[in-house]
Amino acid sequence: MTAALAPAWVAVRRRPTLLAGLILLTAFLLIALTAPLIAPYDPILQNGDLRLQPPSWAHPFGTDNFGRDIFSRVIWGTRVDLQIAVIGVVFPFLIGTTVGTVAGYVGGKVDIVFMRVIDIILAFPFLVLMLSIIAILGPGLQSFYIAMALVGWVSYARLIRAQMLVLKTVDYATAALSLGFSGPRIMFRHLLPNAIAGSVVFSMSDCVLVLLSGAAISYLGLGVQPPIAEWGVMVAEGQSFITTAWWITLFPGLSIVTLAFGFSLTGDGLGDLLGVRE
Amino acid sequence: MSEALLSVRDLSVVFAGDDGPRTLIDNLSFDLGQGEILGLVGESGSGKSLTCRSLVRLMPSPKLAITSGAVMLDGRDLTKVSEADIRDVRGRDIGMIFQNPTSHLDPLMHIGDQIAEGIRVHRGVDGKAARAAALDILAQVGFPHPARQYNGYPHEFSGGMRQRAMIGVALSCDPRILIADEPTTALDVTIQAQILKLLMDLRESRGLSVIMITHDLGIVAQTCDRIAVLRQGKLLEIGGKRDLLGRPQHPYTQNLIASHPSMPARQAAMSSHIVHPTAVVPKARPLIEIDDLHVRFPVTGRGLFSGGPREFSAVKGVSLQVMPGETVGIVGESGSGKSTLARALLGLTPISDGHVSFDGADIVMERAKALSKLRQETAMVFQDPYNALNPRLTIGTMLAEVLAVQDSVPKERIPERIGELLDLVGLEREFAGRKPLSMSGGQCQRAGIARALAVNPKLIVADECVAALDVTIQAQIVDLFRDLKRRLNLTLLFIAHDLAIVRSLCERVVVMYHGEIVEEGPTEDVFSAPREAYTRALIDAIPDIDPDKRLVPPRGGDALIEETSGLVTDEIS
Repeated sequence: MTAALAPAWVAVRRRPTLLAGLILLTAFLLIALTAPLIAPYDPILQNGDLRLQPPSWAHPFGTDNFGRDIFSRVIWGTRVDLQIAVIGVVFPFLIGTTVGTVAGYVGGKVDIVFMRVIDIILAFPFLVLMLSIIAILGPGLQSFYIAMALVGWVSYARLIRAQMLVLKTVDYATAALSLGFSGPRIMFRHLLPNAIAGSVVFSMSDCVLVLLSGAAISYLGLGVQPPIAEWGVMVAEGQSFITTAWWITLFPGLSIVTLAFGFSLTGDGLGDLLGVRE
Repeated sequence: MSEALLSVRDLSVVFAGDDGPRTLIDNLSFDLGQGEILGLVGESGSGKSLTCRSLVRLMPSPKLAITSGAVMLDGRDLTKVSEADIRDVRGRDIGMIFQNPTSHLDPLMHIGDQIAEGIRVHRGVDGKAARAAALDILAQVGFPHPARQYNGYPHEFSGGMRQRAMIGVALSCDPRILIADEPTTALDVTIQAQILKLLMDLRESRGLSVIMITHDLGIVAQTCDRIAVLRQGKLLEIGGKRDLLGRPQHPYTQNLIASHPSMPARQAAMSSHIVHPTAVVPKARPLIEIDDLHVRFPVTGRGLFSGGPREFSAVKGVSLQVMPGETVGIVGESGSGKSTLARALLGLTPISDGHVSFDGADIVMERAKALSKLRQETAMVFQDPYNALNPRLTIGTMLAEVLAVQDSVPKERIPERIGELLDLVGLEREFAGRKPLSMSGGQCQRAGIARALAVNPKLIVADECVAALDVTIQAQIVDLFRDLKRRLNLTLLFIAHDLAIVRSLCERVVVMYHGEIVEEGPTEDVFSAPREAYTRALIDAIPDIDPDKRLVPPRGGDALIEETSGLVTDEIS
């Protein structure tokens, strides 16, 4: 196990961007996992006596208008936001990659049908489409994930399809064909691994976008429901107090930025590692 | 030799890699005289190109640095002058042309403007005068209608014309030295002969000094005055071409000369290996029968001269029979349809018309049966060894997969069979654990051949499989094919534009031109007494390693007329 990981570690250590990104993401993951242990207070416990306290030693990030400890809420929010970023990307990634591979490799009518579906989805503004799907399914995180999967796959499909169109004319694809390999085997075993690097890198920046749309959807009241701690919701709740109690908005906002930074550094580093940019 | 125009003294270039510095060019010294053509010869990685780039300080990577030595031009040391001065030297004193004109010409700029740009920058004249000068240069480099072709874009010209355009760009600033980096490697033999002739003419008319980088000894023998042999960044030998080719001192040079396929002695030795087609059992059924084959592709978009969509015929009515155990060479220029013919034969390209049958199964009539037969009994070897292997799989995994899919070997015997295959193609067994990127081109090509053999094929189709390799490696791969053919009783269809290799390997040769077979027959007959003018032009255009056998400027063959007649749209190959 350790022996197998050694070359990967060397590759990571040579790339400071990737290393920094991975450290940030690992830190957030640890915070999310150990939230019950490290959060000093209950994130949804209201305390009328402690409303709108500025940051202090007892409440490092201050308290909000219900007297809840923002530091604890930010820590608990990490769980929800990491989940949004990861689940919101995994399904679009899987669907998009499969569709793109098949459309690009098989071509012809299959390709035309998928491409027109993509055109239709792209014809609607992203947020409008998301909102209408969530409106049909009812508010909540689950609806958000479904809407994300239905809308988000198009970018992956287009990325992979373009790569497949190039790769299917490469000699090793012809060689595989002439050796009697089956279509799925050529597509998924030989061509996809060579086509996927760009999508992996894009998925990292997509995590950032999903995180922000998750926050936006929650801000509109269609995503995470109060009183659950989620950074987007916290920013939304704090906005009416921005002039008097800046800390309510600032700390969850900073957390979003830092997590996003972690994802994009990782994406950058991965791009370098996988040779997306020569 | 007159006084040296450019002299290089003890030049060293070091690469600052992650694992410490590596010396890529080691204490190199040579002189270039006025009006002299100096050939730099060596394998890939020997530092030929890097040397020439170092002369004008165009380092391909910031990790490369000139650590010592001097490059003297007009009493100035080019390694020491300022960045502004070296920019002035580039183009004005030293022009460069490269192997691939397509990637070195701006695709969005008229070729005439690309030439005029250099004239304006370096000579400081106005647009009108620059245009006039550019037209003059276009005519000099062999454009028949400069005024009309001035406004052509690079993609509208054929490879040969593009290379002429690039020479035009290099000449635009009237340099005294021209560095030609493998200028003809990407071109067909007949076009190559024209470009070489052009370079020699330019030397005559302008007193140009040329440094010619090439891996082809035939080219240096035909064009250069002196030859320098490089290996691993070191100068092994330098001297007049007759001395060097006639009495090579260094064993490496001797080996290089012996590897050259046009060596007459070598040919004689080889022809004894060749089994005559009559030796094949006469009553045997042909393995491949091609009857009046047509392959047409739809051309989308408008043609340059004719409006509306049209069809492009890549193969027009080809008929051919190949007997089991025979080695047939298919030669022709790029765009002659040789690769399309091979792909159609293997069922990889749809057939428009005609019949192809493999071992009795007709590809058109009984498609399923013929395809399964083809997949199990034929294999292909490709031109670019790196492109032909999946970069993510180790050689062992790749072979194991072929064996598993073909289901010809029981599962537990697969590792053993992989070892046998590697032995067969002359690779160490440890290569099973390596990936293509950590292997050399020749090793990759051997792995590609091992993959082809994993099928236990009756027929191997080799499509330009040595064109991308160094001469010495080429000779090894050709020897490997000869050996395998004998041991495994393979039928080999060998597609190449290099006639010398075909001549040494194949019993029978088929010459294709514009999708048709123009000549066919036993190799020795075709090469010694070609019936068609086109075949003769092809054969005459091979640069011979003997400097006294002059490179005959090819005559005849309408390919040449078309080549120079102006805008030629790219053919689909």
